[in-house]
Amino acid sequence: MRDIAEVMEELKAAPYTEREVCAPHTGVLRFSDIEEGARVSGFTGTWKEIPGTHIATITREKNPCKVLAAERGVLQKLYRDLDGSFVEAGTPLGVIRHYLTRQEVVSKLLKESLYAFCAPERAKYYFVPDVDKKVKILGCRTVSIHDGMELFIVSRMKREAPLCYSGPAGIIYDVYFDQTKNVDAGSPLIVVCPPEQQSAVEDVVARVQSEWNEGE
Amino acid sequence: MNKQHKVLIANRGEIAVRIIQACRKLGLDFVCVHTAEDACSGHVSLALELGGEKSLYRISSYHDANELLSVADESGATAVHPGYGFFAEDFRFARRVTERGRPLVFLGPSWRVIRDLGDKINTKRLARSLGVPTVPGSDRPVYDELEAEKIARSLFDFQMQQGIARPLVLVKASAGGGGMGIEEVYDIDMFRQVYRRIRNYAMRQFKDEGVLIEQRIKDFNHLEVQVLSDRSGRHPVHFGTRNCSIQSTGRQKRLEVAPGFDPSSIHYDFDAKALLDEIVMHSLNMARKVGYDSVGTWEWIVTRDGHPFLMEVNTRIQVENGVSAAISRVKGKEVDLIAEQIRTGLGEPLGYTQDDITFHGVGVEYRIIAEDPDNGFAPWVGDIDRFSWEEHDWCRVHTHVPPVSKENPYTIPTEFDPNLALAIIWGKDLAEVSANGLAFLDKLRLEGHDGKGEALKSNVEFLKKKTERILRF
Amino acid sequence: MMEWEKQLHQLADRLSYLKDIFPGKHEEDISLLESRLEGMRKKLETCSQEEAQADMTSLEDLFFFIECKLEDKLTPMDKVRIVRHPQRICLRDILENVYDNYTEIGGQGEHTNDPAMVIARAYITRKRHGKVCHQPVLVIGHEKGHGEEFRNGGSAKPWGNAKAKHYMGVAETEGIPIHAYVFTPGGYPLEDYPGAAQQIARNIYEMAGLTVPLIAIFSEGGSGGAEAISLADKRLMLSHGYYSVISPEGAAAIEGRLRGGARASAELVERCAKDLHLTAEDNLKFGYIDKIIQEPVLGARPYHYEFFRTIRQEVIRATDEVVLAARGLAPLRAATLRRFRDRELNLDEISVRWDLSRKARQRLVERRQNKFIKASHRECQNRRSVMGRLGDAWSEQWWEIYNRLIYDFYHRNRRTFANLLDELGSEWEMVKLRAMKPWNRLRRKPVVENTAAEEELTTLSEWEESDRSGWAWVSDKAKEDRAISCPYSAKRGCMDMWAPDLYNEFAGVCSTCGHHFPMEYQWVMNNCFDENSLYEFNTEVEAGNPLSFPGFDEKIAEAKRKTGLKSGCITFEARLDGVQVVVAILVGSFRGGSVGVAEGSKFVAAADRARRKRYPFIVYCHGTAGIRIQEGTHGVIQMPRCTVAVRRYIESGGLYLVLYDTKSYGGPVASFLGCAFYQFAIRSSDIGFAGPGVIKNTTGIDIPPDHHNCYKALSRGHIQGVWDRRDVRANLRQALETMGGRNLYYR
Repeated sequence: MRDIAEVMEELKAAPYTEREVCAPHTGVLRFSDIEEGARVSGFTGTWKEIPGTHIATITREKNPCKVLAAERGVLQKLYRDLDGSFVEAGTPLGVIRHYLTRQEVVSKLLKESLYAFCAPERAKYYFVPDVDKKVKILGCRTVSIHDGMELFIVSRMKREAPLCYSGPAGIIYDVYFDQTKNVDAGSPLIVVCPPEQQSAVEDVVARVQSEWNEGE
Repeated sequence: MNKQHKVLIANRGEIAVRIIQACRKLGLDFVCVHTAEDACSGHVSLALELGGEKSLYRISSYHDANELLSVADESGATAVHPGYGFFAEDFRFARRVTERGRPLVFLGPSWRVIRDLGDKINTKRLARSLGVPTVPGSDRPVYDELEAEKIARSLFDFQMQQGIARPLVLVKASAGGGGMGIEEVYDIDMFRQVYRRIRNYAMRQFKDEGVLIEQRIKDFNHLEVQVLSDRSGRHPVHFGTRNCSIQSTGRQKRLEVAPGFDPSSIHYDFDAKALLDEIVMHSLNMARKVGYDSVGTWEWIVTRDGHPFLMEVNTRIQVENGVSAAISRVKGKEVDLIAEQIRTGLGEPLGYTQDDITFHGVGVEYRIIAEDPDNGFAPWVGDIDRFSWEEHDWCRVHTHVPPVSKENPYTIPTEFDPNLALAIIWGKDLAEVSANGLAFLDKLRLEGHDGKGEALKSNVEFLKKKTERILRF
Repeated sequence: MMEWEKQLHQLADRLSYLKDIFPGKHEEDISLLESRLEGMRKKLETCSQEEAQADMTSLEDLFFFIECKLEDKLTPMDKVRIVRHPQRICLRDILENVYDNYTEIGGQGEHTNDPAMVIARAYITRKRHGKVCHQPVLVIGHEKGHGEEFRNGGSAKPWGNAKAKHYMGVAETEGIPIHAYVFTPGGYPLEDYPGAAQQIARNIYEMAGLTVPLIAIFSEGGSGGAEAISLADKRLMLSHGYYSVISPEGAAAIEGRLRGGARASAELVERCAKDLHLTAEDNLKFGYIDKIIQEPVLGARPYHYEFFRTIRQEVIRATDEVVLAARGLAPLRAATLRRFRDRELNLDEISVRWDLSRKARQRLVERRQNKFIKASHRECQNRRSVMGRLGDAWSEQWWEIYNRLIYDFYHRNRRTFANLLDELGSEWEMVKLRAMKPWNRLRRKPVVENTAAEEELTTLSEWEESDRSGWAWVSDKAKEDRAISCPYSAKRGCMDMWAPDLYNEFAGVCSTCGHHFPMEYQWVMNNCFDENSLYEFNTEVEAGNPLSFPGFDEKIAEAKRKTGLKSGCITFEARLDGVQVVVAILVGSFRGGSVGVAEGSKFVAAADRARRKRYPFIVYCHGTAGIRIQEGTHGVIQMPRCTVAVRRYIESGGLYLVLYDTKSYGGPVASFLGCAFYQFAIRSSDIGFAGPGVIKNTTGIDIPPDHHNCYKALSRGHIQGVWDRRDVRANLRQALETMGGRNLYYR
């Protein structure tokens, strides 16, 4: 656990993330008429129902499939030379520079300053069914956990095994995994906020709200 | 055979390696695929080594037919080899491959054969229509409770007559599969309750109330007949039998032996030779009847008193094909069943008959897996940093694990089956093959550690222990 | 001085009213009035009393003159503006001035569940044999409240309509007539329980069999919202009112293909208002209203006291006529009512009791039902030959007689007889059992042969496998060699499917997540009934263009060409596992599945056929966008019309079942589909009153993308179940076995 101010300064020094846009699958690539330097947005709308900026179309088995921007930002690079060619799955198509939002900053800060429970091994993780239901319906912050509680199911090699939480008791403050994707060993799965730290956390949130300007 | 063909290998790991090698042997071009997770696999480096950059494509998933076919078109492949698992027994994939705008050869049986033999009820009825023995019980979905109970009652009576001490009846959803919706009944008074539970489950799950009622056979050996036929489908031949009774607790095979029994050195309570001949004959009869046109395996269970029952037909090349090849010679020469599958699949006639096939000695296949046999065969995940064995002319190892060292370990991907390698050991008789097997396992070095620094766990000791028991009922 | 002020103020009011009604039109007349009024105002400061008086009178005359002149030039859109103007009379004015006393039920201003819908008990005082008597009525109506915000412009919410329906029932119990005042731009498109469409459908169904006189008075008749309280024995209409399928702006948005709330030009709106034929004269001509009540120049406003007396006379007259016609026993008074024109007769002096006997109530309902069944009959294009029609009439008669004989006489008696036989048989069994008892004891159980049992367990059994391995009908989409992505692939990880798999074997269902892709109507039509059992009827009925809506002839011809159908409704007889059924399909690909005269007529005929033959009646709504707006009120009238047909069918003992697919919205769902007791939906279909765009435009509420999803509809109580497409046949079979009316003799 680190000092919040310190992490905050680090983030302020580099308030961007730069992420590659990759081909989700194979096929023939056509870029949309977007240019380098263009502003792009991810899914928006009250229910994330408005799709992100159309970057390219990959046609596979006569089925055109749109590649959309996943987050708001600026299209920093676009590998135009790929236009019209057959691309393999995972081929980088461009780079989006994304200015961190307040929420993302809070999330990063909490990851550093709260107790993070990490994945013991590379696998897919999900919550046990009743916790999963609660997280989905009421949000993760309604779930309080304690040491030794059976919290996760680890899935690898087509086998599933339960995983118990170990660490301080508290509520799950944030969730960092996607149950369809593999999590590397040592990456945080959740951060836990003990009741006595609740007010400190609220301070962090308030501080980010006031100090962090959402650029671009 | 037309050497212009190019084979898309729609699989990974050990089988992909062997298909690449078979293609090379036949002088065929090939193209391989891999996922990001699997970039370090041996089949990737072998493809690069033998075919260069143009013969390797990265795809998002082995399970996505669209990825495979788009690579096939881009690379100009003309045939698809599905290996085992993934799309091997998916008749829709086979149908799509052969009926699409740019058709490809599916290196496996025709899709109709896959569909018909993939349906358990259909297979059972086909068997019975040819007088092939099947597990006693119903051969069609039962919808009526009274009828169901009548069948169950006579199954109990039947088993009592046969002197089975604890008769068991199995109730399963006819539309089900994969172990879901199956329950045992050991007392006829319990039957109705179980029947209703399964029927309701079937209704909920599969929208069909049909239920199958069969005898549950407890004490048996698992035997297989290896069949091969060319595209004419008229002259199937067999490559002997295998015994796959040594399995993990999860009913996964760990050790296979060919032939199925060895009456020359072990005593059985029944006429083992006659039994092997019988199941071979039945298997070939069925293959002829359906016009079977590729490699396939007829799976049998054999009870302690020597009654065989047909279980199912696997319409694909199997992991353990090599152990059958190890004991077989065609016109005195060694045989590669994968190459034979590709060769005949591309339309070439078989070119020999059953009389040309001879059998020599005993073969054993070990599946070497990082797992913990003492802990329910739980798979072990981590880095392998040492993997070596002694080379002999009686031993062949197939693996996709690349050469490893302390500096350059191989991380086991978590997405797939945990098989690491297959070792096929040959001996002129049972005693020799056992000795060779133990010698091989003794010299085998498989080491590594996981994220917590714990050492690799493997099933080598388990295999050693089981080697002493092979082919004994 | 104060008096001048007041008069000036009134004139200024009239001027601004003119400006509101004629925005950007008749500017000369309006500026003339404006300058004269300004002149008058200045003059008043200086001139004498007498002079002012004279000038004022002449100015008022001028106002009146110009108003009369403009009255003659009123366009349909001007009338729409009049109706919408906050100064237009509203229900409260009517309650105050038309009735002699009233109490509002369940509402004080905004303290009510829906301020847009007002219920009141009122009475009208008349003289009977020289004595004063009060005739009670129930008043239902939309309250616009001169633009009060909380009234929502008279758009009733589902619970407002539910309230109306509830009190209709109360009126029925108490046996008093209902006066319904229609002052609504349309129903408020909320999907909260039970949903706008569902509630309107329930209201219409209720009125289709309501046993008290119902008089509807239209001022603003906005489509579904209006129909919710207006399936009446007599429909009166204020001369400056409108009655339409859609607002002119809405029609313009559709005609101009505008999206996302863009505004149509004033000219286009004006033209649409004209083309929709929404005025009182038009609707009288069509026969959808019975009488026009003439309003004062440029529309009635609260200070037109004389006009309220006219309304009063007209509603009394209408109620009297309805009652007398139902009673059929007051020739003199009925004749008097017929003979004398409006102003020549003081209805207050004539006495007609408004209660009805049981018989008369039946007659009342029957007359009302016939009235609506016949509505728009003339507009229906039927190309069937005279001989053909004659044949149809004969066969209809034959079925009527046949079924009377078979079902009412034979079956009923046979059943009694069969029951008797059955009872006797059971008794005999008992006697036999007792008699044989000693003998049975002597006999021993036969030994079961073991070999036989073993053979049964190990050899091939007889099995007639129902060969349903493939679908009888396969979409053309299955011929294309391409992959298709599931719209939910990102969320649910679905893989692309091969079109020949998806559209053939999978029946358009995503193999990963179960999402149902839309399929053609032929899929259900040809895969869910017994093979070769379909017999289509009324194929000669064609969709047309009854309003001669500009450009629509070509559009309808195009739809016919594209689909190969003559209308958006296919009606046929079919068998389902041997059970005869009548089926109507609303085809979503024919003009969006919209319903007009042809579709309504075919639907009514199908319901009638099912009733006559005593077959279950299944409606497969492949998709509907609502009422066909280009047919105007000819389309709207299909809502009550078809609902009446449904009610007749259900009450004669049939099973009416609706199955929704793809997208179903608007009028049909808010009437004849929504009123079914058994409504089901195929998975992934959307059901509702108004689409997301309309909801956003009318209410400003942003709705989630799955707002209309069938599972949401199921949770809200719109529908009774969601079916997998592949199980439609089995579920229909199950429905036939477990649901339905008393007259279905296939059981």
